[in-house]
Amino acid sequence: MSQASIRVRLTLWYGTALALILILFAGTIYFVISRGLRDQVDASLEEAASVAIRTLGEHRFGPFLIFEDLSQNFPELALLDKFFQIFGPAGQVTIQSANIKSREIPLSQTAFQASLKGQATFESVRFDEGVPFRLLSVPIRHTERLVSILRVGTSLYPTEKMLQRLLLALVIASPIAIIVSLLGGWFLAGRALMPVNVITCAAQRIADGDLTQRITSPRSSDEIGRLASVFNDMIARLEISFRQIRQFSADASHELRTPLTITKGETELALRRPREADDYRQVLESNLEEIDRMSRIVDELLFLSRADLGEIKMTMSPISLDSLVREVQLQATILGQDRQIETILGTVEPIVVDGDELRLRELLLNLVDNAIKYSHPNSQVELSLRQIDAQAELKVCDHGIGVSDLEQQRIFDRFYRTDTARAHASKGTGLGLAICQWIVDVHQGTIQMQSSPGAGSCFTVLLPLRAPVV
Amino acid sequence: MRILVVEDEPKVASFIRRALEEESYAVDVCADGQQGQDWAQSIDYDLIVLDLMLPGIPGLELLKHIRKSGVKTPVMILTARSEVDQRVKGLDAGADDYLTKPFAIEELLARARALLRRAGGVPTGVLEVGDLVLNPVTREVTRGDQRIELTTKEYALLEYLMRNAGRVLTRPMITEHVWDLDFDTFTNVIDVYISYLRNKIDKGREQSLIQTVRGSGYVMRADV
Repeated sequence: MSQASIRVRLTLWYGTALALILILFAGTIYFVISRGLRDQVDASLEEAASVAIRTLGEHRFGPFLIFEDLSQNFPELALLDKFFQIFGPAGQVTIQSANIKSREIPLSQTAFQASLKGQATFESVRFDEGVPFRLLSVPIRHTERLVSILRVGTSLYPTEKMLQRLLLALVIASPIAIIVSLLGGWFLAGRALMPVNVITCAAQRIADGDLTQRITSPRSSDEIGRLASVFNDMIARLEISFRQIRQFSADASHELRTPLTITKGETELALRRPREADDYRQVLESNLEEIDRMSRIVDELLFLSRADLGEIKMTMSPISLDSLVREVQLQATILGQDRQIETILGTVEPIVVDGDELRLRELLLNLVDNAIKYSHPNSQVELSLRQIDAQAELKVCDHGIGVSDLEQQRIFDRFYRTDTARAHASKGTGLGLAICQWIVDVHQGTIQMQSSPGAGSCFTVLLPLRAPVV
Repeated sequence: MRILVVEDEPKVASFIRRALEEESYAVDVCADGQQGQDWAQSIDYDLIVLDLMLPGIPGLELLKHIRKSGVKTPVMILTARSEVDQRVKGLDAGADDYLTKPFAIEELLARARALLRRAGGVPTGVLEVGDLVLNPVTREVTRGDQRIELTTKEYALLEYLMRNAGRVLTRPMITEHVWDLDFDTFTNVIDVYISYLRNKIDKGREQSLIQTVRGSGYVMRADV
């Protein structure tokens, strides 16, 4: 499950980042505090030393000063956490405070050498018992001569104890913090990924074929909400196009079933018993008509599906629409002869458009054929071509059965045939006007119809004029 | 037996009509839903063959409407739609049978016979009056062991008489069930056909099966 692994990965990334931050943070704290504590100790040692030196100076550095006097005059020197030693110029102990007791803390060589040079020395030492000390040795000089060395010392035990506690606290608290945040991160990642889970389930149901399913997401503006709404939009479009395809194939199969029913029925009926030759001829003629109708439907379906896939090649060139109109008018005159329908030309202005000649001829022929098919006998079909602004206006008007307002909205739909059209001319496929619409669309034009039932229809095609060559 | 075919596709309606007429049914064809509904309500058809896609009133509406108004005539639906829910809708609206286009003409005829048989209450379909036997499937008519050849119209008239054996049938009833709308009411064509039938069935036999009821019409019975 990729969703679970995203949750695990998120949690791990989160935990690792937090652990690194905590380690850095803990290290910094430890370092800063230990450094601060040492500085504090050193500062207190320096202060104690300077006080001691000042006191010694008031006693004129009397080498024979006894410690009791000193502690009487300066009770703070007797503080338990510090001890004093005064070494002679040779490094031997002359006086030391009582709290050292019997412990031997000799002057180190480093401190002695530094003292000879007149420098104070800080040292950290650890004796056998493990008690750490911080020592400050300060030379006391008089007229460039080393008189004695004052050493102040203090136990680092409380400081170390405190640092240990700090370390302990950091070592215990950090993993706890990491564990708590990992749990929190796991929970939050789960919460954040929950809508993804919901989307996955919905997508699963949709994949199972139920396109009416939608994702219900309470949030609408966050990332997941946007994903859900984009997803829903996509499914809605899919649903519409699936419905159109289903409708289209249902219509296609219905349209093909009618001629099939006729050929099958006529043939079976003819074969039931011996018949006159003329009867057979009639059946064959009828069957031929139906076969033509089927091949026309199949051809037009194929054309439309190739058009939908963008597989129809268009070769655009400057087309003189007026000569095309005149050619089509000649063909239409032949088409209308059977029913005495005359095709006449109205205004025909010389107009050139950019287009595919084959398709434009098909468009015109389809419209004229349509007009003749649904015209009343002995009527006229009028073709006209005019320039209106930057457009060519092509009009095909008939005096025929017409189309009601309600039906006009669907007249360009595939397979749509009005009831009157079905009753009037059984040869139509219901695809001709859909093809006209497509041809007009690829030429960036528009097609419209005005009609009144019983009186006739007018199809108006507007095509953009050829862009003038600069 | 008179059948109404409501079908808007002229060629489909035409071959159904010819097939049914060859089986000696009287057939009326109607291409419009509204007209079909009017005819179904005003004429006592024995069977209605109904296309669902119709101009005017859709087939299903027509069916619901005539059922509501009390027309009990068996209805066979013809349609290009074969989906299950379409068939269910059709049968629930009051249809007795359902046939999907394209169909075999023999199946249409067999189903028509089945519907007529069920409506007539004759389980085997073979009609018998005395020693006169009519088989609607083979269209054979025999009296005793003698086979009788009939024209389609004579056959249709005999079938109607035999289906309603024992009932007095008036001339308008016979007209309505044996002849289609082209029938001219002011002729004595029924009496002419009755005399044809009598010549072929009753002539030279002891028992006359076709009897005249003075002032009313005709009745077919084997007793008395």
